[in-house]
Amino acid sequence: MKREELIKKWLDYNLSTEELNAFERLEDYNNIIQLDTALTDFKAPDFSIDNNYESIKPKLKKETAKSNEWLKPLMKFVAILAIGFSIYYYTTTLDTHIDTIVAQHTKVELPDSSTVNLNANSTLSFNKNNWNDDREVRLNGEAFFNVAKGQKFDVITSIGIVSVLGTEFNVNQRKNYFEVTCYEGLVAVTHRDKTVKLKPGYTFRIINGKLRANEKENTTQPSWLRGESSFNSIPLKYVISELKNQYNIDISTNNVDTSRLFTGSFTHKNLDLALQSVTIPLNLGYSKSGKSIVLKRE
Amino acid sequence: MSQPLQDNICDDLLFERFYKKHSKNLHDFLYYKFGEHLNPQDKVQEAFIKLWQNCGKIALPKAKSYLFTTANNLMLNAVAHQKVVLKYSKQPQKHYTSESPEFVLQEKEYHKKLQNAISNLTEAQRIAFLLNRVEGKRFKEIAELLNISTKAVEKRIYGALKKLRKEIKEL
Repeated sequence: MKREELIKKWLDYNLSTEELNAFERLEDYNNIIQLDTALTDFKAPDFSIDNNYESIKPKLKKETAKSNEWLKPLMKFVAILAIGFSIYYYTTTLDTHIDTIVAQHTKVELPDSSTVNLNANSTLSFNKNNWNDDREVRLNGEAFFNVAKGQKFDVITSIGIVSVLGTEFNVNQRKNYFEVTCYEGLVAVTHRDKTVKLKPGYTFRIINGKLRANEKENTTQPSWLRGESSFNSIPLKYVISELKNQYNIDISTNNVDTSRLFTGSFTHKNLDLALQSVTIPLNLGYSKSGKSIVLKRE
Repeated sequence: MSQPLQDNICDDLLFERFYKKHSKNLHDFLYYKFGEHLNPQDKVQEAFIKLWQNCGKIALPKAKSYLFTTANNLMLNAVAHQKVVLKYSKQPQKHYTSESPEFVLQEKEYHKKLQNAISNLTEAQRIAFLLNRVEGKRFKEIAELLNISTKAVEKRIYGALKKLRKEIKEL
């Protein structure tokens, strides 16, 4: 057998006994063995598998624990997301509320560029999100609407519902008092399952549950928009409550018959003038002390 | 289609078995390739920890090669910051004193030559040769470890032996 073959087999620890004998007879056998024994001194330092595994074990344990821990921040994130989403959902589906206090007027833009002028001491609420499906506002008080053309527009009050399609109209709903005046277009008023259609200039008025005759008016805007409240054969008590809405005052009416009808108007800018315009035509007098006013017969 | 029970080694026991099977080989491989001053033992541990961290992503058949590649890269990163000084500095420790001083000196001389010669081997030759001669691994085992053919291993080892003997004779 060739020398090289023998050495290779020896290297591969694959010599048979016969070959081993042959290998031992090689002239450089001693050299090779000397080299081989010397090489063992270059052995890699002992690597204790078990010891090393024990030392790595805690680190692995920590990693497994960690693999659960990554869930925690994720859960936090998801929770925050869920809370945020629900707050977002809640706030966006919530109705928008607009209130005016006594002696305050406000102009409100609705999502479709319809406008609402809100008179004093009134509340308007609507839902921005549903606006495209349902043009619907809730009103408590008095407001003048200028409705952009489009789907049915509903004003819901506790006494009646006013539905329109793009027009200008005034709705006044106070305690036991409901008045709708149409200024442009056509307004349908539903009250106790009865629907009345109002042409421009006409007013629909319910006082104490009774329908009052409606007559034609020739204005294009309710008078309150000009800083004036106008009345046409309206019981005095509604006039007085409107005075209270426009001025921050307290009015007592002992002995005065508040069911008397009043026709006329009062200004929102001057209390004395307003009181005079109400009292003089009715032959009444008043005395004022601070914020309380007492009406009396002359 | 039969699927392996588990296609990764995230399991504790499986990982332990894997560690015990490969850690020493990996250590020796790193030691013979890079020498000891880069602390092959640490790199072994680091590589195993990396394997554990990524155990979900690595299929079992690929785990060994991932491990070796990772350890090798860790070493190369260390090498990049440090010039390699191949130093097989482990001095032979003789427990017998019956030798004449002359012989001891000769022995020392011989080891120095050998050390020099070993560091002059190519990296591939050195790894294969030392795994074979020192760790007593057969060609086939080395071939598996290094992912090369048995023939290539034989060639490297025989070449290394020839080169060593030549250098020692010359000096």
